[in-house]
Amino acid sequence: MLETLLTLGAVAPPAALLAFLGILSLVGRPAPERVTGTATRWTFLAAMVSFAALVFVVPAGGLDVQLGPLTFRLDGLSLPFLGLTLMLHGVVGAFAHRYLHLERGYNRFFVMLSLLAVGFSVTVLAGSIELLLAGWELVGISSALLIGYFHERPMPVHNAMRTWVTYKLTDIGLMAAAVLIIHDPAGHASWIGWLVLLSAAGKSALVPFSGWLPRAMEGPTPSSAIFYGALSVHAGAYLLLRMWPQIESTPGLAAAVVALGVLTAIHATLTERVQTDIKSALAYASLTQVGIIVAEIGLGLHVLAVVHSVGHACLRSLQILRAPSLLHDLRHVEETVGATAEAPRSAPPRRFYRLALNRFYFDELLDRVVGACLGVLRAFDALEREWISLWGRR
Amino acid sequence: MSDRLRAAIDHAAELLPAQGPISVFIHHNTLHAFEDLPFEQAVVEAGRRFGCEPFLTEARFHEEIAAGRITEDDLVAVLGNDATDVRLAMLRNPIPAPRGAALRWLLDEIDGLTADLWETLVAHARTLPPLPPATRPATRVDPLLIRAVAAFLDQGIATWPMPDRELGFYRAFRRLCGCPILRDEEARGLDALGSATESLAALGVPESEWAEYVGETLLPVRGWAGMMRVLERDPNRAPVAAPPCSLADFVAVKLHFDRREGRAERAVEPPPTPEERAYPVFRVAIATGRRDPKLFAEVEAFGELERRRVLQLAYERNFHCRVLDALARPPVPTASPSFQAIFCLDEREESLRRHLEEVEPRCETFGTAGFFGVAMYYRDAGDPHWTPLCPIQIRPEHTIEEEFSGLTTRRMRRAAWRRGLGLLQRHLSTGSRTLARGAFVATGLGALASLPLVARVLFPRTTSRLRRRTASWLEPTGKSRLRLDARPGADLEGTRRGFTVEEMRAIVSRLLDETGLRGKTAPLVLVVGHGSSSLNNPHESAHDCGACGGGRGGPNARAFAAMANDPRVGLAPGTWFVGGVHNSCDDSIEFFDTDLIPNALRAKFEAAATALDEACLRNAHERSRRFGQVPLDLPPAEARRRMEAQSEDLAQPRPEYGHATNAFAFIGRRERTRGLFLDRRAFLISYDPDDDGTRLARVLGAVIPVVAGISLEYYFSFVDPTGYGCGTKLPHNIVSLLGVMDGHQSDLRTGLPWQMVEIHEPVRLLVVVETRPETLDRVVRENPAIRRLVENRWIFMTALPPDAATVEPAVVHSSLDAYRGARGHLPFAHLNA
Repeated sequence: MLETLLTLGAVAPPAALLAFLGILSLVGRPAPERVTGTATRWTFLAAMVSFAALVFVVPAGGLDVQLGPLTFRLDGLSLPFLGLTLMLHGVVGAFAHRYLHLERGYNRFFVMLSLLAVGFSVTVLAGSIELLLAGWELVGISSALLIGYFHERPMPVHNAMRTWVTYKLTDIGLMAAAVLIIHDPAGHASWIGWLVLLSAAGKSALVPFSGWLPRAMEGPTPSSAIFYGALSVHAGAYLLLRMWPQIESTPGLAAAVVALGVLTAIHATLTERVQTDIKSALAYASLTQVGIIVAEIGLGLHVLAVVHSVGHACLRSLQILRAPSLLHDLRHVEETVGATAEAPRSAPPRRFYRLALNRFYFDELLDRVVGACLGVLRAFDALEREWISLWGRR
Repeated sequence: MSDRLRAAIDHAAELLPAQGPISVFIHHNTLHAFEDLPFEQAVVEAGRRFGCEPFLTEARFHEEIAAGRITEDDLVAVLGNDATDVRLAMLRNPIPAPRGAALRWLLDEIDGLTADLWETLVAHARTLPPLPPATRPATRVDPLLIRAVAAFLDQGIATWPMPDRELGFYRAFRRLCGCPILRDEEARGLDALGSATESLAALGVPESEWAEYVGETLLPVRGWAGMMRVLERDPNRAPVAAPPCSLADFVAVKLHFDRREGRAERAVEPPPTPEERAYPVFRVAIATGRRDPKLFAEVEAFGELERRRVLQLAYERNFHCRVLDALARPPVPTASPSFQAIFCLDEREESLRRHLEEVEPRCETFGTAGFFGVAMYYRDAGDPHWTPLCPIQIRPEHTIEEEFSGLTTRRMRRAAWRRGLGLLQRHLSTGSRTLARGAFVATGLGALASLPLVARVLFPRTTSRLRRRTASWLEPTGKSRLRLDARPGADLEGTRRGFTVEEMRAIVSRLLDETGLRGKTAPLVLVVGHGSSSLNNPHESAHDCGACGGGRGGPNARAFAAMANDPRVGLAPGTWFVGGVHNSCDDSIEFFDTDLIPNALRAKFEAAATALDEACLRNAHERSRRFGQVPLDLPPAEARRRMEAQSEDLAQPRPEYGHATNAFAFIGRRERTRGLFLDRRAFLISYDPDDDGTRLARVLGAVIPVVAGISLEYYFSFVDPTGYGCGTKLPHNIVSLLGVMDGHQSDLRTGLPWQMVEIHEPVRLLVVVETRPETLDRVVRENPAIRRLVENRWIFMTALPPDAATVEPAVVHSSLDAYRGARGHLPFAHLNA
């Protein structure tokens, strides 16, 4: 009973905030900035108190909590991620309240932020595949809409669309896995693992889907911090951790997960070295660690992967939040360390540099694959039209 | 051939933004290249060229009319003989010019009575020759071009530098890209100009259009091209070290991209249809009741741009009248001051000076260019870089550094600790971006990052206090001094170390003369420079002192005070000067070399410092009213805490409003402005009008380029925040340590961010000089740069004769009464202090 109440206490405040902000927006009377700021702060406090209590209540082996028709799973995996979500929602909310003051999209930003908080909480607590899928979709849509936050310029919209398409294509995996699990868990066990891996790769920007991650830095700084430094980018890792018991027996999967993680880490760390803007550099630095985390999961080091994810999320969101301070910080460090501390760097072989500067041509590769698929679909479309007109003429 | 191409490139280069690396932000006229034209023509021409707005929108002006900021009188006065009913009606009422579907929607509303009129007008419009179509610059940019040029110019964000950088951009890119065209060019040993010529030929651009085309194709990447040009001209401006930059290289690469993707074409907007042309005339006809055929021509002659120009003039006229009204009042003399204080002429110091005079009515304040005549390259003890501290038009010839006396072992140990911690900090932050070290840092220490994350965002002020207290343990201790005396040797090319006594005497003498202080100095004179510190603000340096070339003026004030106190200089015996620096963001004051103050003056200094601190407190309170998230009814102490928090807050995009309120400049005696509430709108320059014009020429020469640059940069960044300014700060992304991009990849954004300018009133600067009109006229004529600005009306200038008739003004009790409870711009008021 207590656990149920506390779970409700942790999950309901963000949901209530979303409902409050969302409904006011829908009726065309968005809440004033001050109200939104205060509401976000109270949501944060209420949820954090419940969460802190929850940590003491949940037994070591974890437990399932039933809230109406929904099953929530509380255990050593979901709780750290839930705490991270609630904390970052509060901190980024407080940050954005000042950062987005007088901004036309202030209200829109907070609706999307609370949508993310709800989506990610549901994803990590989900005790069933349907619930997980629901949360997963909310994370995806809020993510894409915040990348396109500055919709009066073409590039953010273009990049938001690209991210969204990547999500949607790879989400087919989780959707199909859900269908298989519900209808015929035994018969297609070997498929499920690969489908889940596809979805995880899309959401966590693993190779070859990594091209959207730097593009996601189009939004305001706080949204970049919470999405691509912290939550969204670890969602794939979380999915693998959560589904691992169901998929670990899939032959070859563990090795594939390790390989994908290692490849991503290598790709990202090489690409990071040539990034000349701070946000892209941090995006690829994030991806490097996500790659390692995925490799850890494949190797079965799950506790390490959780610690690594949570630590990395805190560190990276702080770094992205203070990315605009780069010049200030650099000057400070120079003043304390002195001028001659750093040896001049030498250039790498041109071949590596070219590969890294072009981000391993993954975007071009995806474009080509998608282009080919589109070509086939268009051919079918043309055929269909011809077929119809043939009949129409008669 | 290549000479002509080079000339074409040089021609195109004039249109590029002249903004240098962002860490030393220098305000300058955004449309510097157009200064040969009259302002009102230049903005329209530049607007067409860049696709930017020349004036505020008509809708904004109509808001100002509704608010009474533009009055009927202003409109009539500005129109002069053209003040016809039609024109006045067109200025007062919005003239919609709907197009396409929006127009069809409105036409459905036209009923029987007006239908005839409509038909007549449309029929007339059909007989007119069509208008030329409007065009906008191309916007296409290849992402690879941005990545490559950012990599080439990078000053240290990337771990891997671009290979072959030392060969220049074109060659480095050619080797890197390896596409067949470039490989062929490499085999033939073409240089950048040769490659550009071939690309132009392949694009089918005839030689007569080279300059035009090159200018056009650079427009979507003008920020990057401009940076290339700035570093080509002056490699010393690079924060670390500039690679061999050349605009010709950049042009060659850009043209190569054009060659692959097709010509950069301007987007063409179709000209208005006869119906679209007739509609505004139709509205005016209804509003004025005129039906005669001449109306069409009259309305079209007073088109949108022309209306906006007139509204701009009216907007400025209204303001100018209020300034001149306020200044026409009797001077307020100060009898035997207890102390004097010299500040920067910056309009942000206007309020501080006013509050200081209110706190201590027996003090006298002066304003001068905040480098106090000391043009130097400066570095702090321990700072590896030299910073030029003087107006941009001066190139310093002296280097000055700070040094510590008394190297104790304790101090050495502290310095070692400090260095060690700094190195650790750097290793952690760079290490966290790598593969293996990053994994250890993230796993081992990552969760600890949640502490600063929560603390810095939720409690910015407390966190910074705590941090500073801890850091103060490791601060260098002991006395520091500036090494002012001339010594052999040079630290930088073309400079000498220190100043000779003669040079010091010239500097001090000049300032005393210009401000009118010579022979009238009080026993204690404070010399206060200014600077600003804020976090998460790539444009931090834009808030610093303009007269110090975007640096902080503390060292200049300190150096000036030390020179003036030097007995060998001996220009103000019996007076002690104390240098200090005012932080315009958190309103704190720091004094230098206070241990040297003679004992007899110590009590006087303490009293002056206390008065100045109280003035800072009140100043913070006055400033706080501008920030929407700070309540208007805070007591002064709390308001100051809020201002302090803003300067330490990662989440604060508006740590201060910088020069956003600048609007006019007064050059003359403080007596004329003392006790005037000028709402932080005025640059105040002390100048003694008892002069034949020689001193005035020096003052104008030093001051006008700085203040005109500030005023015009704010004008353009406000009028078109995304075209001339760099847009909203929220998606800004520091690139190559040179500037900011919007989000993931864009042109290098120049100009000011919206959060810095949002409360600005875009009026051209009005400079009021207390002198005889003949003298001013002569002085302006003799300085070609200022003459050009004045004659082409980039700034307005007027003389206020020292013996001009005065009127007794209405008064309010204090500054507080003048500003309490209001957020917007305020009327000028006379204080009963």
